[in-house]
Amino acid sequence: MRQDLTRRELLAGAGVGVGALLARPAWSRAVTAPAGKVTVASCKTYGTELAPTLDKMFDQLGGLGGLVKGKTVAVKVNFIGVRWSRLGNALMEDTYWTHPRIIGATVSLLGKAGAKRIRVLEGPWSTSESLEEVMLSMNWKPQDILNAAPNVEFENTNYLGRGKKYSRFMVPGGGLIYPGYDLNHSYEDCDVFISLAKMKEHSATGITLSMKNVYGTTPITIYGQDAGVDEPSIRPHGGRGNVFHFATRLPSKSAPQQIDMSLPKDAGFRLPRIVGELNSARPVHLAIIDGIKTATGGETAGGGAKAAVNPGVIIAGTNTVATDAVAMTVMGFDPLAEKGKAPFARCDSTLLFGEQLGIGIRDLKKNEILGVPVADVIFSYPAVREKLGPAGPPQKRG
Amino acid sequence: MALSAESIPMRWPAGPLDIARGEKTKGFSADTAAVLRNWQDPESLAVVQGSPVNCLVVSWAADAGQQEALKPLIEKGKQAGLEFVGLIEGEANKPAAVAAAQSAGLAAVAMEGDAPASAGVPVIPWNKAAQVRSSAKSPVVGVSDGVFPGLPQGATPQGGPTNLPWVDSNGAILLIARALAPDKTVWIGFDPPAKAAAEAYQLAVADSASHGARWVISLDDGLRADLTAKKQPAADTLKKAIDTVSFFEQHKEFRTYQPNGLVAVISNFAEPNYDSAEEAINLMPRVRQPFRLIARQRAASASFAGLQAIYYMDKEAPDAALRKKLLAFANDGGILLVPSNWPKPEGPPAPAEAYLLFSMRQVGKGRLGVCKEEKPDAYDTVADIQNIISHGKDLVRVYNAPSSNFLYETSAQGKRAVIQVLNYSRRPGGDGALFYVKEPYQSARLVSPELASPAELKWDPQEAGGAELTLPRLSVYGAIELEK
Repeated sequence: MRQDLTRRELLAGAGVGVGALLARPAWSRAVTAPAGKVTVASCKTYGTELAPTLDKMFDQLGGLGGLVKGKTVAVKVNFIGVRWSRLGNALMEDTYWTHPRIIGATVSLLGKAGAKRIRVLEGPWSTSESLEEVMLSMNWKPQDILNAAPNVEFENTNYLGRGKKYSRFMVPGGGLIYPGYDLNHSYEDCDVFISLAKMKEHSATGITLSMKNVYGTTPITIYGQDAGVDEPSIRPHGGRGNVFHFATRLPSKSAPQQIDMSLPKDAGFRLPRIVGELNSARPVHLAIIDGIKTATGGETAGGGAKAAVNPGVIIAGTNTVATDAVAMTVMGFDPLAEKGKAPFARCDSTLLFGEQLGIGIRDLKKNEILGVPVADVIFSYPAVREKLGPAGPPQKRG
Repeated sequence: MALSAESIPMRWPAGPLDIARGEKTKGFSADTAAVLRNWQDPESLAVVQGSPVNCLVVSWAADAGQQEALKPLIEKGKQAGLEFVGLIEGEANKPAAVAAAQSAGLAAVAMEGDAPASAGVPVIPWNKAAQVRSSAKSPVVGVSDGVFPGLPQGATPQGGPTNLPWVDSNGAILLIARALAPDKTVWIGFDPPAKAAAEAYQLAVADSASHGARWVISLDDGLRADLTAKKQPAADTLKKAIDTVSFFEQHKEFRTYQPNGLVAVISNFAEPNYDSAEEAINLMPRVRQPFRLIARQRAASASFAGLQAIYYMDKEAPDAALRKKLLAFANDGGILLVPSNWPKPEGPPAPAEAYLLFSMRQVGKGRLGVCKEEKPDAYDTVADIQNIISHGKDLVRVYNAPSSNFLYETSAQGKRAVIQVLNYSRRPGGDGALFYVKEPYQSARLVSPELASPAELKWDPQEAGGAELTLPRLSVYGAIELEK
């Protein structure tokens, strides 16, 4: 990884010039996106092999030291959906949520690389509870993460949290749906931003990987179903579907408003663009995708054919578009697929908008792919679906 | 027969009084009137023959026509071992109605408000939940305004596919009634919607019974007509409801168990506190936290053992003795949560603890949380309480049962416990409920009216302690019996 980035460069995104982004007109297709560096590793369990595997992957990307030494690092994890709904008796961390051990291992390696302060962030479903509380409700041991390195903190970014005001992130070039977003202070008060996601499919966006994980940065107090009309509400209630998926209500007026109210109110149209915008406005410096244990068939439990699976793979990269493109390939999908082709049968490609917004390149050939050959770790999600049939089997933890 | 705590009631609309009332309602038909006439016929008692129902609640008034019409029914019923309760509604001449009830040999009457002086039969106080009161002369206390339990009619899911849906339950009002009248059996009245399914009746029975009360079983007009016509589907529907009643009679011990939980709500459950108390207690199950209720009138003598937190929610400050006891609880390490008007909050602020609704103060080894708002939102309140007390010590948790509530209760010695699970969707979910249980129990078995025999459940020990139990898919109700 490139050494000695300034905070301004970091905020603008590794490899993406601030000037280039700001100069880009709205809905420009002319932006040249940067290539990324992505590494792939086989890792079957969350046991002792995990930390050395991650360490090696980070080395392959250029080492963590140059990126995080002396810096405040924010790690956005994925705790999607109502936590009380699991896939059968499978653990949430073995299906839909970033596993606590990969969070702990990442935090530990960040600490060893000299990170000054490490902040684990997420906006879990419809709650102001601390992340520690959310973890306890899953029978996790949050202390294991808090003690994995010096100066580790958690913050629930569903609301104002410990901040005094929300931070505004404008989409370089103007945006596609929204010109900008108001987020919890944590996403500004960091030097390095890491997306630590789970390798999953998604009902509205086809896939949910390191780019889509950034969607969860948006505070429910502004973008939730019960968000304040004029100003953000104090407490987070409900989900983001009304504002983002279906545009049945507006975000709080204090936040940047939708550019064009005549845009389709279809999640398959809106979410890929919104995810692209968020990744452009709040760039990710390091993407990590937990594909060790996960689930096929969707982002959360409930409905359809879903299965707890063990692909045994981790993918990490310096660019979310490139990293997600590799992950899609591992999942048995074509990262160059566009609307109408799996996994984007009913939606646009998030990666396509990432590319058009200048974040990164979907074509694997144009990125630098390291680690084990992708062909060696392919775990075909379509094949799992085919095997399960439309309803799928009852799920039991193996 | 005398009215007793063991009486199992069923509403028995019949006779001219019910016909006259029905004629004032929209949609009342000649067929319904015929059924009401038919149900005054002693032959109609065959419907409850052989069932555990032993008490019929008939409409009653100082109305000679009604009294005369029901006379054969009452006589035949009494010969068959049934007892009768006369429900006196509206602006009836209560003293005359009570006197007539005594003459007719009714076991009791039920009426709103105060009983007439020197009533010759027990009078069941039959009041709205917010005005529940007990009477020394009656072993039963009534709640007249229950809701038919289930998912709200016509409701649409809010906020996405994974939101916990709202459910209609009588749990809160029944727990309050039991807290106010712990030595009485609580009856609750509510009518079913038209064409209610068998599972709806099962849930109506189970929602009341699991909360230690009895639903005065009420059948919809269509079902009564079909039973009169001896239609088999109607008989099957009634049988399912009756089998559910029988199930709870076979598990009477559940009624002797006490609610377990780390948090207790203290209130007088009377105006001006009733509405906010009921709403908070309605919402506690939605944050998946078992809880106890303590009537403020009994708080001075109540045990706080095993509690981690107490939410004293009344607008009136506690008396000096109770305040002292509550603060002692906090001093010893407990969390005491109080309304915004708590006079002169004790202890220095605990600035590291930033909660949205409560300002925390250090009191001895424990904490005092003072609500920041005068009229806090009920859900925000329970959510913040959950956040303050932490999931770290959860006794029980449930996963995969979004439309279900559960009650966790333990026997007096603590060797046995039961987790009762109510599925308000009335249909099995994609997955069976999954329970985390912190305390070590030796055995766990599931009993349910839906199972032919008890099912042994297998413990799945968890890495961080405790163990999980996976239940089979249930439509309406099941109980996990735990034993140490």
